[in-house]
Amino acid sequence: MPKILVDDREIEAEEGSTLLQACLNNDIYIPNLCYVEGMQYPSSSCRMCFVEIKGQDKPVAACVVTVRENMVVKTETETVRRLQRSALRLLLSVHRVDCKNCQANKKCELQRIAKFLKIGLKPKKLEQYLKEPEIVQEHPCLDYYPNRCVLCGKCLYVCRKQHGQSVLTFAKRGFETIISFYGQDDESKFECEGCTVCVDICPVGALIMRDL
Amino acid sequence: MKAVCSQKGWKVDQERLKEERAILKQIARKFTNFEKKRQGLIPILQMVQEELSYLSAEALNMVAGYLEISKNEIYGVATFYNQFRFQPPGKHPIKVCLGTACHVRAGDIILENFERKLKICDGETSDDREFSLERVACVGCCALAPVAVIGETVHGHMAPSKVEGLILRIEIEKEMQAREKQKNESGQS
Amino acid sequence: MNPANHKKIDQAFGTIHAEALQRRNAFKTAPVPKIHIGMATCGIASGALETKKAFEEVLAERNLDARIHTVGCLGHCYAEPVVIIDHPDSGFPPIFYHEVTAGKAKMLAKLFIEEGDPRFEHVYGAMEANDLIPSVMDFSRFNMEKRIVMEKCGYIDPEDIYDYIAEGGYAALVKALQSNPDEIIQAAQNAGLRGRGGAGFSTGRKWELAQKAAGKDKFVICNADEGDPGAYMDRTILESNPHQVIEGMAICAYAVGASKAIVYVRAEYPLAVKLVTKAIRQAEEQGLLGSGILGSSFNLEIDVFQGSGAFVCGEETALFRSIEGYRGTPRHRPPFPVEQGLWDRPTVINNVKTLASIPPILNKGADWYRNIGTENSSGTAIFSIVGNVVHPGLVEIPMGVSLRTLIFDICGGIPNNKKFKAVQIGGPSGGCLNEDFLDTPVDFDSLTAAGAMMGSGGMVVMDEDTCMVEVARYFLDFTQHESCGKCTFCRIGTHHLLKILTRLTKGEGREGDLELLEVLSADIKNGSLCGLGKTAPNPVITSLKYFKDEYEAHINEKRCPALMCRALTAFYFDLDLCARGCDACATCCPVDAVFTTRNRKKGVDQELCVKCGECVVACPPEYDAVRKVSPPDLVPIIEKPSEKT
Repeated sequence: MPKILVDDREIEAEEGSTLLQACLNNDIYIPNLCYVEGMQYPSSSCRMCFVEIKGQDKPVAACVVTVRENMVVKTETETVRRLQRSALRLLLSVHRVDCKNCQANKKCELQRIAKFLKIGLKPKKLEQYLKEPEIVQEHPCLDYYPNRCVLCGKCLYVCRKQHGQSVLTFAKRGFETIISFYGQDDESKFECEGCTVCVDICPVGALIMRDL
Repeated sequence: MKAVCSQKGWKVDQERLKEERAILKQIARKFTNFEKKRQGLIPILQMVQEELSYLSAEALNMVAGYLEISKNEIYGVATFYNQFRFQPPGKHPIKVCLGTACHVRAGDIILENFERKLKICDGETSDDREFSLERVACVGCCALAPVAVIGETVHGHMAPSKVEGLILRIEIEKEMQAREKQKNESGQS
Repeated sequence: MNPANHKKIDQAFGTIHAEALQRRNAFKTAPVPKIHIGMATCGIASGALETKKAFEEVLAERNLDARIHTVGCLGHCYAEPVVIIDHPDSGFPPIFYHEVTAGKAKMLAKLFIEEGDPRFEHVYGAMEANDLIPSVMDFSRFNMEKRIVMEKCGYIDPEDIYDYIAEGGYAALVKALQSNPDEIIQAAQNAGLRGRGGAGFSTGRKWELAQKAAGKDKFVICNADEGDPGAYMDRTILESNPHQVIEGMAICAYAVGASKAIVYVRAEYPLAVKLVTKAIRQAEEQGLLGSGILGSSFNLEIDVFQGSGAFVCGEETALFRSIEGYRGTPRHRPPFPVEQGLWDRPTVINNVKTLASIPPILNKGADWYRNIGTENSSGTAIFSIVGNVVHPGLVEIPMGVSLRTLIFDICGGIPNNKKFKAVQIGGPSGGCLNEDFLDTPVDFDSLTAAGAMMGSGGMVVMDEDTCMVEVARYFLDFTQHESCGKCTFCRIGTHHLLKILTRLTKGEGREGDLELLEVLSADIKNGSLCGLGKTAPNPVITSLKYFKDEYEAHINEKRCPALMCRALTAFYFDLDLCARGCDACATCCPVDAVFTTRNRKKGVDQELCVKCGECVVACPPEYDAVRKVSPPDLVPIIEKPSEKT
């Protein structure tokens, strides 16, 4: 088992595990939104889990680094924090910050990360860009909130893992990207069983079981 | 300064529907030219669009059925790419190039002029389905900038004042064809 | 290597080669005029089809014996449609004619083909040195180029494999099949060839890694997903000489041990798709592709995949996803494609120009290639130079030529007596350089050091009338639209950049905007997942660095110094110059914004004016009365007479 040095603390990591996983297993928190334990190809899309590794001139995402013996890692350098805060502010600039009325209140990852990084939930310098509509009800029993969603893709991942294919998909592109349930409203080959794995894994309360 | 744009929905045209069904049958036959594999998805969608000129919900259903992939998954892939359309284009699709060279030579003013004259926005089709308007990233005729493509014909060195003439020409041609048709019909009877 | 096998390959190719030469000689020595017409997309866009039809009509009408030879593109886009007429009986050398419209074609068919008068007033130049007509090689647009990749473009018929073979085509493949794969990789390394897709990674090294990678099924992909707005050399090469690319792919596949290859070409390039598909079929028919190529044990199958229009698919990992049938989103590298590429198999992905450089390298030797260009960037670079230059088009030059030479000597400088302002190199990922950089040599490292990049070779020259804030906004509009949306920085960050820049061009800039642009740009550069995001802020960063005063004028004075941003400019007619009773501007105005004053001069209704500038063109030069100002409140008040009731 490779030994690595994280913030001057020696930890043991499992052979072949990602640096992010190794840190999390040893109670070293690194902010992250899109990582699920056991992913073969972490999507590395949330751009939160930056760390600095000795010998590399720029911060790297810890979810795509495999641990190596004697790796020297810093998780709280100024450059790392700047990128993390910047990423969080960007996410918040397209987020409906209305925690009181959100089911994820107090268990929301954005709240947790904001607290950890010591920044407010209202982005000061950036303008807010919200999407229409507030709630998408394409799915027979799920409500989707585009203005809460951080597009981490964990819902797709767990759904596919559970059922072999996914009821959810990313649709459109770029800034317009959303989670879609296209075709769920009519009879299709593959029907959602309402297992709620996607709802459970959502870090921000963007997917909610509709009260029927 | 934005042109007035129509936001109207589609009128259901029975004749068009009938025509579409015939094309869909043809498409179904063509599926067999493609392997039943995930990698066939984009080539199949390209073939469907080539035949039908857009991807209708029904066509997406058929592709989903053939490849045994969920419709949602196909929708996710199709909406990612610029090439795929989900609304039928006009008979005379107009593409205005906004590549770098065209932009430097004021291609956006050309686009606006089309929008104004046709009373539709970028990405829309006129009510009579004669024209559709689309901005494209670069058609690769940079030395002719600014460029507009109508149907298959590239029009180089565009100017705002040429826009009206181009549209007029198409409308006159259409009128002449209609007259010709009328003449033939009356001649036959 | 088995010498018996060499003989078999020589024999197989010898037959094809002999056939090609025989056809070539029959064409060349035929005692009739030959008309070579450039028929690539840009030629066709300029009317080459009508030109060809006009020649055919007159030839048939007057019963003239002449051969029409359709060729690709010479790269002289400013001169399209280009026709070269070789009329041996006339006593003149082959002549290059430019802008040959249908009318001109008819005239040339009658007067030159039939009567032997080349019409000197229409001649651009002769294709070879002679005593009668100045040669095109006396012009810097021709003689300062060094053509390796585009050597045969515009001279051969892309639809005829024999044309290419007669010009020495596929000889390098024969040579490759008779050598060891290691020798070929060594040659690519010794030549110092670096990938022409933009990043400039060593091609030989890439091939070596792929060759050594474990796994049987390997792939070679030719990346022709040319998405940079303003770059079209890959298309031109595929349309003008697809076989050189195919030959390069075959050599690469042989070297790395791949038996499957794919040409990934944009669906927006229908002619390129058609021609490359046809070329592959022809090569198969000749046994130059397929199983047991030229009697050897090497097999290669090449498919064409049409890219569906997503700029991000130029990124290799995104490109793989789209071939596999998914959304074209990139993934983190490593693993690199040479280890895990398409379907997780080792994959070599090379740009069109890289692959087309391979046959000349094998034919003429690595040392020959190495001696062209600079120490660290050997060979040639192809640029598509567009925008405000006299002679836009494709230019192939040895690496290391300065930007000044390229823009002013080769492309004729800035038209209309305007001043040079900036050159944008490398498309949306590149940067804008000002005149201080004109002496920068064009090579991978110098351009990167200057803040631009080689990219795919798009180069847009801008004169003093171009606003750099607007140019930055344009590029961000492009990258923002083309962002795949996967990672936070690119998806949301570029959106913010675009919105801020848009505000600036509308005169709604605020204090702190420039700092915000700088900070955001740096974060997007450092934080994004793939190359698109990492380079997306480059146009902002460089323009902010070299043209800061323009940004400041937009924010502090609500003024666009280049008079380009429409919200910050206004037109009016100088009443001292405006001619009484003249209606030129009023008739051309697309929005009826021009009104007539009481003394029958003209005024502009600022509410209606869309600032298209048509009136500037329409106003007769002897009056030259239209003025454009920024900020718009500099416009003198000219009263509009109230509507008659």
